[in-house]
Amino acid sequence: MPKAVLNVPSAEPKDIRWFYDKYAAMLLGYINGIVQDHRKSEDYLVSILTAFTAEFGTTEKSQLSIWLELRQYAQSKLAVLTEKHHSLTPAHVNSNGNLDLLDDLQKQIFCAVYYHGKSISQLATAFSSEEDEIRNQLKRSIDKMRRSRGN
Amino acid sequence: METYVMGIATEEEVQQVLLLKKEYPEFKDALENLEMDMEVLAQGMAIMPPPGTLEKIETEINEIQRRSQVVQKIVVPNTGSENGRSDKEEKYIEVEAESNQMRVNKAWKWIFIAVFILGKVFLAGAIYFYLENRQAREEVKELKLELKQKIK
Repeated sequence: MPKAVLNVPSAEPKDIRWFYDKYAAMLLGYINGIVQDHRKSEDYLVSILTAFTAEFGTTEKSQLSIWLELRQYAQSKLAVLTEKHHSLTPAHVNSNGNLDLLDDLQKQIFCAVYYHGKSISQLATAFSSEEDEIRNQLKRSIDKMRRSRGN
Repeated sequence: METYVMGIATEEEVQQVLLLKKEYPEFKDALENLEMDMEVLAQGMAIMPPPGTLEKIETEINEIQRRSQVVQKIVVPNTGSENGRSDKEEKYIEVEAESNQMRVNKAWKWIFIAVFILGKVFLAGAIYFYLENRQAREEVKELKLELKQKIK
């Protein structure tokens, strides 16, 4: 349903409002986790949501859900910034307890992947560890957060 | 599945996930649950945007749409019949430009043809009368010579 609504290239303001209501807060939280600056995050939110809604339907359809597609889109747009400023320190985000469940290593791995799109091989090199170990840590960190929400 | 939903899966891993998703409904359900959980996780870390953000986005989108409509108006040729000046103004934008060609009303074509034909007729007449005049002068000259010889 949401995809069908937004597949119309010239989306009505009503559809944009629906999109905004559903994803803007999530996206702002995500962007803030990357740039760590509230004012800049708000500016990026406007430009990224505008570009995404304008491009939506003109690009090849992804197999991912809209949120995951939007998150990856934002990550790619902010990639330059990510490369410049990213160090493997956990992001200070409004986590609502989600990230606090993780130990330091898991938090570092999760944030590096989630916010900065670091690959398993990059992290394995950075942590001088096996790729399988990194993969397991990532899986465990996601499982921990999912379990905390009763899933 | 984790690397896939996190967007860091290799091409090989992506193909593997898509294949499993297609072949095994249980895998598809598990993947969808994970995607949903990632969305719930993001909702937990959401920050409410300040008031006026939606208006900014709407303004920018409207501006993009307005610009693309202007581009379309320039690109799309006029296919319909003439519907008056207002219709023309909608389909074209006024552009200031200089041209080295002159626009002439079609009715002038027949006038130009008539002038051309008349020109040819006058030219032929002028040549004809010139030759006639020359011949007449020569005859006069000959007659004068004859007359002089007769007088002698």
